[in-house]
Amino acid sequence: MISINQLSFQYEGGVKPALVDITLEIPDGDFIGIIGRSGAGKSTLTYALNGIVPHYHKGDFYGSVTVDGMDTVETTPERLAELVGSVLQDTDAQMITSTVIDELQYGLISYGIDDIDGRVDEALAALGIADLREREINSLSGGQRQKVAIASILALKPKIFILDEPTSELDPASSRMVFELLRTLNQTGVTVIVVEQKIMQLCEFCDRLIVLDGGAVAFDGGVREVLTHSEELEAIGVHVPRIVTLAKTIGSDKLPLNLDEAEAMLREVLA
Amino acid sequence: MKGFLEYIPGDSILHRLDPRTKLLMPLILCLACFAADSILLLFVILLFDVALGYLGGIGKQTLRTLSKLARIMLFLFVLQILFIQRGETLIPLIAGLRITDEGLRTAALVALRLIAATMPLATLLSLTKLDELADSLVVRCHVPYKYAYGVTAAIRFIPEFSRQMSEIIEAQTARGVEFDTKNPFRRIAMVIPLCVPLLISSVRKIDGTAMAAELRGFNLRGRHNIRCTSRFGLSDGVGILVCLALAVAGVLL
Repeated sequence: MISINQLSFQYEGGVKPALVDITLEIPDGDFIGIIGRSGAGKSTLTYALNGIVPHYHKGDFYGSVTVDGMDTVETTPERLAELVGSVLQDTDAQMITSTVIDELQYGLISYGIDDIDGRVDEALAALGIADLREREINSLSGGQRQKVAIASILALKPKIFILDEPTSELDPASSRMVFELLRTLNQTGVTVIVVEQKIMQLCEFCDRLIVLDGGAVAFDGGVREVLTHSEELEAIGVHVPRIVTLAKTIGSDKLPLNLDEAEAMLREVLA
Repeated sequence: MKGFLEYIPGDSILHRLDPRTKLLMPLILCLACFAADSILLLFVILLFDVALGYLGGIGKQTLRTLSKLARIMLFLFVLQILFIQRGETLIPLIAGLRITDEGLRTAALVALRLIAATMPLATLLSLTKLDELADSLVVRCHVPYKYAYGVTAAIRFIPEFSRQMSEIIEAQTARGVEFDTKNPFRRIAMVIPLCVPLLISSVRKIDGTAMAAELRGFNLRGRHNIRCTSRFGLSDGVGILVCLALAVAGVLL
């Protein structure tokens, strides 16, 4: 369970707060999508969950964040990372070793996990990159690096999995594969929090959407519930899927969240 | 093509050396070069450096490094000749300057010494997995992990920065800037302003890497949990002995 209570944060030297009075409860096993325009505070919110804020990025921190009862101000990021696995936005910077195998083993060795080889093989297979096992990081494409970054956190089997734009360099098929994997993880009880610009995928896979604007929570709720505010969302730079706009235009009762639902809706209307 | 100091995979005898040996050998050779006062011995060390490259299966890359270093040293060589005016005049130049025997010898010694001293480190680091080097330093040499990682990360970032610089140059070229000039001074003048974006992107990348390491238990790592399989073997002993022999020769000659 993650509990955020009246959280506000301004980076040292920052001209305005990155997060403003955020209060959220995230129960175990949720699949949450965080969306908002650039600079809305999405990444900073994830930093507040894994302890990077305020331990690594200093600044004015008000309010509290607790993860499984641990206060993030009093707990080091290393200790929080045993619970919270984080895939950062810049996957290039996330590569801290020279080879794929070392990258996956890094966290497992740090935390003294026994079945290192088994965990590595499992994570590589889950991302479909077993063939990259011995490859050097420098020889990988952007998409392959992104998969390695996800696998390196997946191998740690965190209870809470935070991913900041995990599919930004992936092709549509790989993006879908990553989201399918996240859904499978979520079904085993892992809390998944994804920051993503591709709203279509968030709509299809997430249970709950949190929309940030100017560091504050603009909307928070079930996906359909949030999408009913399409005009307000557009006004704060969040473009709702076209199938949702279409559904609202034709006055459909239920907003479709994927192409299958859209097709069913259109068939119903045309019939 | 691999960048400068970038690991080149292989299975040569040098690849299999203990990472500590691959750090110790260049250090001894470096000392040998600075102890040596003989042009002949410096040539021998230089030949040994090249032989190391071929032994490691990276002969062509070693020659390329040699060629690049020689071009830089040529500049230093000319400066030394012009600044050292002691000794007998060999060739008189304009404005009272002259090329002297002592100037020529000192210039040759300095240029050869710097090339021969820097090449082995570049060669042997290209044959060393930096993660293995860091692990070996921590487990076998008891160096604190944060320092061992810091050193190897700094080495790893060199080719990374070089790649980033190339990307910035490519981006500028795409906007119509003509970097393809033969004039080295003009090229330097064009590259200097690019150092600012390079610095910004590099600092950002280092910051991101540090953050990622912290989120994967960086501060929990140490001798107790790092695995290190490397051990000194016969080939390590032979390599170090050859370097020591050259160092002794450097002191004596």
